[in-house]
Amino acid sequence: MPRLETLSEVQRRMLQMFPCMEHDDTPWAPMRKPLSESRVALVTSAGLHLRDDKPFITNPQGGDCSYRVIPRGTPAADIIQSHVSIGFDHAGIYRDINVTFPMDRLEELREQGVVGSLAANYYSYMGALRDTTTVVEETGPEVARKMADEGVDVAFLTPT
Amino acid sequence: MLARCFEEAGISTTGVVFVKEHAERTKPPRMLWVPYAFGNALGRAGDPLIQHQVMKAAFDLLDAQKGPVLEEFEDDTVPADLLQASGAERSGAAKGLNPADELTALRPYYERWVEKNGGRTAVGVSGVPQRRFRGIVRFLEGYTAGEDTDYDGRPVGVGVPQFIRYCVDDLKAFYYEARMEQRPGAENSEIHEWYWGETAMSGLIVRLTETMNQSEDPAVKAIPYGLSR
Repeated sequence: MPRLETLSEVQRRMLQMFPCMEHDDTPWAPMRKPLSESRVALVTSAGLHLRDDKPFITNPQGGDCSYRVIPRGTPAADIIQSHVSIGFDHAGIYRDINVTFPMDRLEELREQGVVGSLAANYYSYMGALRDTTTVVEETGPEVARKMADEGVDVAFLTPT
Repeated sequence: MLARCFEEAGISTTGVVFVKEHAERTKPPRMLWVPYAFGNALGRAGDPLIQHQVMKAAFDLLDAQKGPVLEEFEDDTVPADLLQASGAERSGAAKGLNPADELTALRPYYERWVEKNGGRTAVGVSGVPQRRFRGIVRFLEGYTAGEDTDYDGRPVGVGVPQFIRYCVDDLKAFYYEARMEQRPGAENSEIHEWYWGETAMSGLIVRLTETMNQSEDPAVKAIPYGLSR
């Protein structure tokens, strides 16, 4: 993102006032094996989902805290975006899904041996949430459990 | 916050953030701060080289022994400001265009775009096939005019206000993809300028926004903020 001082007054104030969670500590899961032996999953907050899945919704109470599953290998043509935020440029992802959801780049890294393997499923949330309680208490741990069950070692996170 | 959930389950995380100031507050374990515009986390569309560079820099953070690690990805790219409807000087209506005819005129470009992209399109959130978008336009015009109207194919379980949002997103995606085909090489900012500045459709969307803003219904009032972007 451009540095805050380069943004318009409206954008700068919106970002400065955004009610994100604050923490003093940082949980830390050390790498258990080299990346070249690790299983990687892609997780995005870009509001992506399968074309025939339920779109994310506008929820003035704080946002839509649900998530969608995107099986690895899903063609880009079958993935769409229903993120309700007004504050981002959609043209990039119209042109190339990898600019937000680098699924093809991950396949290339697997072919090159940079990452060991890829998870069977990727996950998508919708960011810009004003109340993240449900994600912290429910849908975040739920996806964490699913990924653990699927043998995921590393999650690669992307915003939009 | 997702990173925290995953790390607590024993899954190492890395990734990309746009707003350094937010990451400093939430303290995810490992994140790469990128200088790109919202919507372009991996740098540039259609540029696998820069996308791989961003990913490598993020994956390299997994070598850290302790955190939080918040590293800057340096690139001299200066993101263009995102043009909002309020920032555009609209001239579409002055040219005597109406949205439905304009949409029909753009359809060949849109369909060519989809064909050239292996069937990929951002259109589809409303659930209405693009060949029926003239009906969507008539519905939105009626709603904007204050008529008690609905769309016959509105998906079950999706209320009218939310459906309007999905329709507007689909129309925008249709126009953008058509324009990308019509003017190959156009920068994203040029397409924003064209859509919000020159099309009759954006004029309808702005009027629709004004109509919804006047509603006393909270479910309706929640929607228009996201329409004219």
